[in-house]
Amino acid sequence: MSTQNDVLVVGAGLAGLTAVWQLASHGKKVRLVSKGWGATHWHSGCVDVLGYYPVDDPEPVESPGVTLAKLIADQPEHPYALVGVAGVEAALKAFQALCAEAGYPLHGSLDKNWLLPSAVGTFRPTCLAPETMIAGDLRRDDPMLVVGIKQLVDFYPNIIAENLVKQGVDADHLMVDLPPLAQRNFNTPIIIGSKMEEASFRAELVRQIKPKLGGARRVGLPAILGRLPSLAIKNDLEQQLGLPVFEIPGLPPSLPGIRLHTILVQAIERAGGRIYHGLEGVGIESDGGRVTAVLTEAAARNKPHRFNKYVVATGGILGGGIVTNHEGQAREVVFDLPVTVPNSRLDWFEQDFMDPKGHPVYRAGLAVNEQFQPLNGGSQPIYENVYAAGTTLSHSEVIRERSFEGVALATGFAVGNLLA
Amino acid sequence: MRNVWEANTSIEFEKAEPVELTLDHCIKCNICVTACPVTAVTDLFPGPKYEAPQAGRFRQPKQASPDYSVDYCSGCRACNLACPTGVKIAEINARARNDIVEEGKQSGRNKLRNNLIARPELLGKFGQPVAPLANFLLHGGVGRFFANKLFGFATKAPMPVFSRERFSNWLKKRPAPANATRKVVYFRGCSTEYFEPRVGKAAVQVMEANGFEVLVPEQNCCGLPLLSNGEFDAARAYHGSNIEKLVGYVKQGYVIVGTSTSCTLTLKEEAPELLDYYTEDARLLAANTYDIDEFLTMLYDAGELKTDGLRPIPLRLAYHQPCQFKAHRIGHPSVEIMELIPELEIVESNAWCCGVAGTYGYKEEKYQIAMDVGRPLFDFIHEVNGPINVCDSETCRWQITAATGQASVHPIELLSFAYGYPPEGELAKVLLPLS
Repeated sequence: MSTQNDVLVVGAGLAGLTAVWQLASHGKKVRLVSKGWGATHWHSGCVDVLGYYPVDDPEPVESPGVTLAKLIADQPEHPYALVGVAGVEAALKAFQALCAEAGYPLHGSLDKNWLLPSAVGTFRPTCLAPETMIAGDLRRDDPMLVVGIKQLVDFYPNIIAENLVKQGVDADHLMVDLPPLAQRNFNTPIIIGSKMEEASFRAELVRQIKPKLGGARRVGLPAILGRLPSLAIKNDLEQQLGLPVFEIPGLPPSLPGIRLHTILVQAIERAGGRIYHGLEGVGIESDGGRVTAVLTEAAARNKPHRFNKYVVATGGILGGGIVTNHEGQAREVVFDLPVTVPNSRLDWFEQDFMDPKGHPVYRAGLAVNEQFQPLNGGSQPIYENVYAAGTTLSHSEVIRERSFEGVALATGFAVGNLLA
Repeated sequence: MRNVWEANTSIEFEKAEPVELTLDHCIKCNICVTACPVTAVTDLFPGPKYEAPQAGRFRQPKQASPDYSVDYCSGCRACNLACPTGVKIAEINARARNDIVEEGKQSGRNKLRNNLIARPELLGKFGQPVAPLANFLLHGGVGRFFANKLFGFATKAPMPVFSRERFSNWLKKRPAPANATRKVVYFRGCSTEYFEPRVGKAAVQVMEANGFEVLVPEQNCCGLPLLSNGEFDAARAYHGSNIEKLVGYVKQGYVIVGTSTSCTLTLKEEAPELLDYYTEDARLLAANTYDIDEFLTMLYDAGELKTDGLRPIPLRLAYHQPCQFKAHRIGHPSVEIMELIPELEIVESNAWCCGVAGTYGYKEEKYQIAMDVGRPLFDFIHEVNGPINVCDSETCRWQITAATGQASVHPIELLSFAYGYPPEGELAKVLLPLS
């Protein structure tokens, strides 16, 4: 009901969740609405802050903190420039504290990127990684055994190990056949993650790996070490194998991403915030300079949500917050805010499909002022009570930069605190 | 400016994107598979992504279904609400089930059973007048044995209890309120008429306390059980009949409210969308139908809801929002209303589904799946350990009670008590010793 409603956040990715977490923690009456579950279910469960800079430099960033300062100096319109290095650090520290409190610590800092193996055996620079992944650190030279499970499709230990070997990493691979899973035709990471909570299932996995360890000093597994944020399963496997164990995140659904989602949702609900999924933002009511309601699609008629302030955190083109058409127009889907995109569709893309600099359209998004208010071409906010956070912001290229979670977390945190 | 309790008769209408075409939005992200409570517990249902956007591509009119496992979709819509790209998965599955029924691929026994269970109005009309006998048959060991052997009902299915008195009989005896200043139409649903008149009584009392005269015109089953059992033609007949019986009231300016959240969803959306039933009258009825708690929150926002002098309820109760209520996509209005009641502490369930999904959990081959789906909810109910629990949908209440042994009430029953009316049934047993 509409009494004393402070802030409505649209979008349930890391940016929206972080903003609502901060607002609810500060005692604000907040609601989050989203079309569906967000990007947390897709991503690796790590926090990438800055992996490559400039984006066409093939060498991964060593220290995201140092390189961030350079990026901010070079690109004053980049979302990171709005929050500053200190703002990014504050967001990371608060999120690390939250995850640690939930018994699922994220390790790392702006001083140094981790280099972890990806699901195709490439080097993956990331700033914060959960404790379930850090034994995969590729700067260490102890040999690893990458283990796949026959019944889990989409995870290929041979590809990972062979590619790592080509890059000088001592890695071997093993595929195990787990009869308890053969009862099911379909095994997703969710289903195997729940089986991993059973001691007998873990014992069977260990029984199959142990004789094949060879000279390995650590063991890599797909990201299946339990559904909930917990280290119990990892610790038990390590004790039984006598070796460090690490997860390699793969295709969605991503358990490590879901664990971060769980941590944030629980924090929000503890603080009295509300989250409604399945409510797609489809429009607004306004009295000129001020939004008076966001409308979400519902059975038979739209539902109005009346709040004092609104945050748009619906993501970019991938997240569904921005749509484009064949006439070369791009628009933001809920508030119909203008999107910075090259005027001609011909200028959206470079000639070379795989251009290392990326394509200009990837930087499309909402231009905002220092208060994160979307601007109308010039320097004036379009609405006095609308704010934007996350990858819906323009002037960043989060996938190529490997800054997806960092931009979402830092700007979501900043907007949450700004409005708290 | 129209008051919130007045019908909107000048609706603008954009026809929704055809259900089947929404499968093109699928990006194969698997979020729906993560959300699906059925695929989490059984391999018989391979998951929303496989059934709707994938198998859906191979379903052509007048051709055999490529996959009969779609019958194991419970229709709970966890997938729809989790999907970040807007695929109408549950609706695609419901239509696929209708195709299977039309193909005649069901066993005769299942078809007979599904037709029986999908007609609560018929069961009510025959069963209620002989309530003691009907209850003996539904709940006695012998009756259950034959229901299982002959029709394939689960022997432990959460059968409801026929009421000794019909809701409409009670209503007939009730004098119209003297001080009513406005009118509202009540869609009672079959369960209130034949099984749980106490819910309807509470609804009438609450509306009257807010200055409404409650009209309860003749009405039929909403047709949802038929829709979820793939019997679309019969559902169309019911929906047509309901439009005929109700739309006149809408045209006079009255809105329809209901306590059966699955019935109101059917009038609002399920029937028009699945049956492609978009006449002017169908649209008018849909646009002016409300779940009762949704309607009460609107009255509250307009400063028109009675909130003074509410009787406290000093209890800590578990509340489960049914899937069918989540599917209205309007948040948690019942919680907002219950929060107005002094001293009442509501603990919300994070579990998705009780498992029964309307008629799903009544079927022999699906009973265990339904119980496994509901397990997290049953554990939650035990953990909160209140004297009763709260849930908006009748079949969910019956399932929860059958699985946990704990009585379950509709939120409107609590508000009715808070307004000073006498509680009934299990609620009376709990509240009267306290007051």
